[in-house]
Amino acid sequence: MSFTGAGKTFGAVRAVDGVDLEISRGETVALLGRNGAGKSTAISLLLGLNEPDEGVVRLFGAAPEESVRAGRVGAMLQDSRPVPRVTVGELVGFVAGTYPAPMPVAEALELAGIAELAGRRVDRLSGGQTQRVRFAVALVGNPSLIVLDEPTAALDVEARYAFWDSMRAYARRGHTVLFSTHYLEEADANADRIVVIDHGRIVADGSGEQLKRAAGGSLVAFDLAGTGTDGLARLPGVVSVEVRGDRARLRTDDSDATVIALAERGAIRGLEVAPASLDDAFLALTSSDAPSRTFLETV
Amino acid sequence: MLDYLRLEVRRTLRDTGFMIGGVVMPVVMYLLFTNLDGGADSDWKTASMIGMAAYGAMGSALNTGGGVAEDRTIGWLRQLRITPMSPRQVVAGRALTGAVTVLPAIVAVLAAGGLVNGVRLDAWKWAVIALLLWLGSIPFTLLGLGNGYRLTAQATGVVNMVCNLTLAVVGGLWFPLTLFPSWLESLSAYTPTNRFAQLGTAVADGHAPTLAAVLVLTGWLLAFGSYAVVSYRRTARTV
Repeated sequence: MSFTGAGKTFGAVRAVDGVDLEISRGETVALLGRNGAGKSTAISLLLGLNEPDEGVVRLFGAAPEESVRAGRVGAMLQDSRPVPRVTVGELVGFVAGTYPAPMPVAEALELAGIAELAGRRVDRLSGGQTQRVRFAVALVGNPSLIVLDEPTAALDVEARYAFWDSMRAYARRGHTVLFSTHYLEEADANADRIVVIDHGRIVADGSGEQLKRAAGGSLVAFDLAGTGTDGLARLPGVVSVEVRGDRARLRTDDSDATVIALAERGAIRGLEVAPASLDDAFLALTSSDAPSRTFLETV
Repeated sequence: MLDYLRLEVRRTLRDTGFMIGGVVMPVVMYLLFTNLDGGADSDWKTASMIGMAAYGAMGSALNTGGGVAEDRTIGWLRQLRITPMSPRQVVAGRALTGAVTVLPAIVAVLAAGGLVNGVRLDAWKWAVIALLLWLGSIPFTLLGLGNGYRLTAQATGVVNMVCNLTLAVVGGLWFPLTLFPSWLESLSAYTPTNRFAQLGTAVADGHAPTLAAVLVLTGWLLAFGSYAVVSYRRTARTV
């Protein structure tokens, strides 16, 4: 699938702003961003639910509607609940029937971990079970691409782990999976590749490791204790400086050089060196003065 | 698409609210209204049977729109759009669902007339009345769809109910028109419900429906049909 300069505006909001993205077969990709970053809009463009105002979106080399019509896509949309007054088996069986080459319903329920719920009414399930029914609906057509829009929102920790186990089992069969999330750990743990989206733009694209490096490899923190902040930004390796109360936090891509330079200034009280977490990376990437895309492409 | 029809019909028939409001209520009202106060004469038993069957059919037809509004709210229409089913199949499946789900009300009230109230008609009359009531319910399905595609699930429920009650009373489905003041009686001739019931009462009296009845109903069919199309187009962009 590919986005080429795709953009979509709702009123005054530029929901997707010139996105270029390509995903190959068999990849598991996380679309990571805050609420309102443009994840759902990007997904609706990909599925043909909305048309881009400019640019082109292609799915398996065709217009999204065509690939959807051909049964090559399955999806779990955000905020959609399964229809009431049918059983799990009836619902999943019906969706299977709309696809040209579905997997057996029992197999889909097994993969989604709800084999024992086949006879239960969809509107009488717990939140976690409902989510798995929606997952079964997305995968029963045996589509080449499965798109999951915030699949674990509102799930408790246990249900979330169980869900990701199911998702990975499906991805291992060689299917392409694209999911959106605002949980960093989920993106890191379950995707080969993380695409960070913010204000409708892609601000980073790579593995979790690459993202951490892109945001500045380590964090060096110390107490200022009256030494002042002049020149900190010019110390070797330092990428950014942040002062909270009396404590300075330096993001650096060469922590050794930074620490030596600090030692020469005598600014080592309460010195702490930590590898940047994904959270730090995410915050650095999506802050208002976030580095531009071109900067990250050199990473 | 037949699978879709089966799924939606199943969902509708499992809806207790639908079964009570659309099937049980018209039957109970019919039996009550025709057997109070020593019981109605056989003419009114027949006419009221057709009126109440029309009322039940209208309620069920409008309910199709309620179903659409519910589907929109929970995202089911969006989910259907990413299955290989085409939008045309989805809309056609919904309309057919409406056509199937008006049948229980018609059959139940006619059965109550024949079995409980002793209404006697030729076999062909029963068949033609059922068929005409079935066809005549199409404008109301379109009205319901127009509401369902335009309004929220809650608003659709309220608007459908108001349409249902107003059209039923003014159209003379509950009480004979002769009880109405004359201005209301003449207004009633322009309502879709009055003409809808006339399709059946004409046959019961042994003649074909009047041209006026067919024309008025066709007018409403076009009006409600356009309303449904406009509403659908408006939502199609956001569903």
